[in-house]
Amino acid sequence: MTMRGRSFYALVLSGTAAVWNAAAEQRFPPPEFESGHQLPVTTVPPPRALWQEYADVAVLLLCLGLACYFVYRRRSRRSVLWLSIFSLIYFGFYRKGCICPIGAPQNIALGFFDPAYAVPLVVAVFFIAPLLVALFAGRTFCAGVCPHGALQDLLLIKPVKVPTWLETGLSVLPYIYLGTGVFFAAAGSAFVICRYDPFVPFFRLSGGLTMLTVGAGFIVVSMFVGRPYCRFLCPYGALLRLASLVSKWRVRITPDFCTKCRLCEESCPFGAIREPVPPPTNPMELAPDRRRLGLFLIALPALIAVFALIGNRVAAPAALVHPTVALAERYLDPAKPPPPKVPTPDSLALERADHDPASVLSEAARIKRRFSRAGWWFGGWVGLVIGVRLISLTSRPVRTDYEPDRGACFACGRCFMFCPNERVRLGLLSPSELPGTEPARTDTAPVASGDTGKPKTAT
Amino acid sequence: MSSSASAENQTGNQPSAPCPFYLAWRTSAIASAVFCAVVALAILVRDFASQKEDPLNAPTLAALKQQLITSPNDESLKQKIRELDLRVRRDYFTVLRFKQTGAWLLVIGMAVFLYSARKAARLRETPPIPGPASDPTESHLRAAAHARHVAIAAMALFAIASLGLAIPHRSRVPATEAEIEKLLAGGASTETNAAPLPTPAEAAANWPRFLGPTGNAFATNVSIPDAIDPTNKVGVCWRTPVGLFGYSSPVVWGDRVFLTSGDETNRYVLCYDANSGELLWQRLVRDLPGSPQKQPEIPAGTGFAAPSPATDGQRVYAIFGNGDLAAFKFDGTLAWGKNMGVPDNPYGHAQSLLVWRDRLIVPIDQSEAEKNRSKLFMLEGATGKVVWEKTRPVPSSWATPVLIEAGGLTQIITLGGSWVISYNAADGSELWRAECLSGEITPSPIFAADLVFAISPNDKIIAIRPDGRGDVTKTHLAWSYDENIPDIPSPVSNGAFVFVVSTPGVVTCLDAKTGAKAWDHDFELEVNATPAIAKDKIIMAGKKGRVVILQAGAEFKELARFDLGEEIFASPALVADRIYLRTAVALYCIGAPKPNAQATP
Repeated sequence: MTMRGRSFYALVLSGTAAVWNAAAEQRFPPPEFESGHQLPVTTVPPPRALWQEYADVAVLLLCLGLACYFVYRRRSRRSVLWLSIFSLIYFGFYRKGCICPIGAPQNIALGFFDPAYAVPLVVAVFFIAPLLVALFAGRTFCAGVCPHGALQDLLLIKPVKVPTWLETGLSVLPYIYLGTGVFFAAAGSAFVICRYDPFVPFFRLSGGLTMLTVGAGFIVVSMFVGRPYCRFLCPYGALLRLASLVSKWRVRITPDFCTKCRLCEESCPFGAIREPVPPPTNPMELAPDRRRLGLFLIALPALIAVFALIGNRVAAPAALVHPTVALAERYLDPAKPPPPKVPTPDSLALERADHDPASVLSEAARIKRRFSRAGWWFGGWVGLVIGVRLISLTSRPVRTDYEPDRGACFACGRCFMFCPNERVRLGLLSPSELPGTEPARTDTAPVASGDTGKPKTAT
Repeated sequence: MSSSASAENQTGNQPSAPCPFYLAWRTSAIASAVFCAVVALAILVRDFASQKEDPLNAPTLAALKQQLITSPNDESLKQKIRELDLRVRRDYFTVLRFKQTGAWLLVIGMAVFLYSARKAARLRETPPIPGPASDPTESHLRAAAHARHVAIAAMALFAIASLGLAIPHRSRVPATEAEIEKLLAGGASTETNAAPLPTPAEAAANWPRFLGPTGNAFATNVSIPDAIDPTNKVGVCWRTPVGLFGYSSPVVWGDRVFLTSGDETNRYVLCYDANSGELLWQRLVRDLPGSPQKQPEIPAGTGFAAPSPATDGQRVYAIFGNGDLAAFKFDGTLAWGKNMGVPDNPYGHAQSLLVWRDRLIVPIDQSEAEKNRSKLFMLEGATGKVVWEKTRPVPSSWATPVLIEAGGLTQIITLGGSWVISYNAADGSELWRAECLSGEITPSPIFAADLVFAISPNDKIIAIRPDGRGDVTKTHLAWSYDENIPDIPSPVSNGAFVFVVSTPGVVTCLDAKTGAKAWDHDFELEVNATPAIAKDKIIMAGKKGRVVILQAGAEFKELARFDLGEEIFASPALVADRIYLRTAVALYCIGAPKPNAQATP
């Protein structure tokens, strides 16, 4: 199947999911029987068997291993692509996006702050395994295992380059979103990352109109902007980005040496390829950067303090996300709407509050206090993220070759084939056709390398 | 097609050859896009138009159902509703199918659009050709500067958005438990009981609660006239119409008579001048903190104003069937009010309030015993703050507790389910319990001759010694009697005898100490109201309005009889040689008029 064929198929799949969702959201009230007809008892599906959960873990580990193998050993974009299609089907449509590391930080946060909540083993593995792999091999999880990334990858039709400055500046968003998810989870309120996941409604073939609209928006944007969710929102991607910065191995565009032919310059639809930057010729050139660095370092604690205060203030309205707090607010609202003719979950909850107001209010007050504490930490985190980002933007990197940004690279392998050396390795070009090479090197055949980040040759 | 894919499929950087099919693909893409837009618009329009066809909200159907309430046996109306219901449901599913079909058309259209667009784009694609190289250092510095601006803008945006959320937000939920308590107490200040409490003698001279100061419906110092004839205005001080109905009984303190009335819409506390019958004030009790948005469904046989009020001489307290509890000062100002939770009682809440020292006792027996929802509250009279509360293992009951002094403690005797349970008034701890009741407990307990009397409806009256601890079922039952036992009226006692009035009107006089029957007599009156004893006379009011006065002694003797001609459900209040008797439509003051009174019979 060609690339365009696969993308087309993915679009059809997504569209189908949207249609089914629209139908599934239609809820029809049962007729008012007067004949003594007994409505069937609502049944609850049994929990997933333990062996199935272990199977999920096994599939995850296998996919991670294969992704590393395909990226670092075979340097095969095609293999990575097929692996991502498998992951989309298994973790996306078959497992309905439910067992997914993206939401796992919330489980971990809740496990830390709520002693009554035990993080399931499978969730813990799904949280830790991709991070461990990223510490050694970068974001290979994003490349071939994440169903969200796979869906967006397949949808990409006509990539539009996002300016580097905009991408760099907006790279704080995933960290803020991660903080938001942890904030709400730690406060015992909601798993907002899961609740507002734009792709899960498509995977589950069910969802509210709002989330379907948001998901459709992401799908449309994904046709022109490579992986918009992964780059500008994914909270787990933020963690993987951090781990990738210190990864032992990293993806290299060239299997041998960079000829600086610039053919790979525009090959990455995710804007992850960085051009060579020479060291400053005059050390005085760095003086403005140093002054800026000093300023940001001094401002960092103030930034953290100010945002901690803002976080604390925003905790009160944020607490309304918790159903008990929302119920208490509605209960105390003097302008309560009259009860609907047909009871709704909200009106029934309000009736329950009418029966036992003290416990509802006490519980709401306790949750609000918890939110208030979590708000300090959340705001401080936002201040820290922005401050560190500003500090990092004062540093001037030195690069000699075209290479992927360690944190931003999804290890998808698209750039491999743009390198003439890769084509030589695959026998698609003769060594003499390489730009900027010496004839003496043509008797050596480059092989897949990149494991250590250094070019290798083999005789 | 993406540049990477093109790289995989091409061995060089040769530009794509011009394709004659480009226009065809582009036209196809445009046509499919227009098609999708039309289909999407059609779905949206149909969706909006179909909202009124929702079976839940079909106005015609709702109107017909409303008609059915007034004409429940109209078969043609029922048939019409069934037919309309079927049609509305058919329409609903038609709309559903329309949407589903439209959605599939949308998918197909989208697929064609995307495929065509991709084909067209691919035909216009050029291989990557590096442009002129820029200065990498300069471009890096420029990008870093712009990125800083973006990060700062994101920071500012986040701060503004957060503050935009936080500043206008006004939470109604208090932050601390103390504030919650204060809120539930109706925002009452920390007002203390500054005025001295009435003495026991003052309380005994009034009628501060249902069944009087002792709870036995017995007034030792009240004399009632021998001759009462409302038809000829003899012995009637005044009669004041009471606009809104209520089953509650009047309570009296000094020159004030308090009543409660109400229904699902409005609930009132009313204060009358005891001398003239003039309505001094009436206060609407609603929208208290926690008042339910939807009033519970309470049968008319109980109504919203069945519990009688109580007063401590400084405030009058009233509770209603929806759980609204309010305290009013004697001048009619609201001291505090709150909702105690909507009682989950199939017949409606009817347990009256009691006062003890500066405190208010609120019994709420509800739901089923297994659910442990029944509670006994002790509140501060001045603020409504809960001093203690006790969960009771009983289902809904309608009996008002009685306060007794026994065993060196003030005990609160309660009935409910199969249990008679005594609590220590000081801290709510359970003192003793006896399992001797059955059925739906409505008659209230009384205390006389050092015995607690409890009625198991239509079954028996039991006398219990209240000096035990723990389960006293097998050790402290003094006696029982099982003939002509009522299911609604409570027993009354003057200390020597216990008088039991059954609902069909059979009065039985029992020796309080032994349970031996002294006499019984069938008056052939339907009686709902508990009688009251004024010194040596029993005043018994029949449901139809006939009132009988008989001797409260070892021998049966009927002393007088008169007819008010109005239904009576409430127990009389006896204060200062007066009988305050509530009928379904009026409040009567029976007795000798005082010199300055303005009688308005």
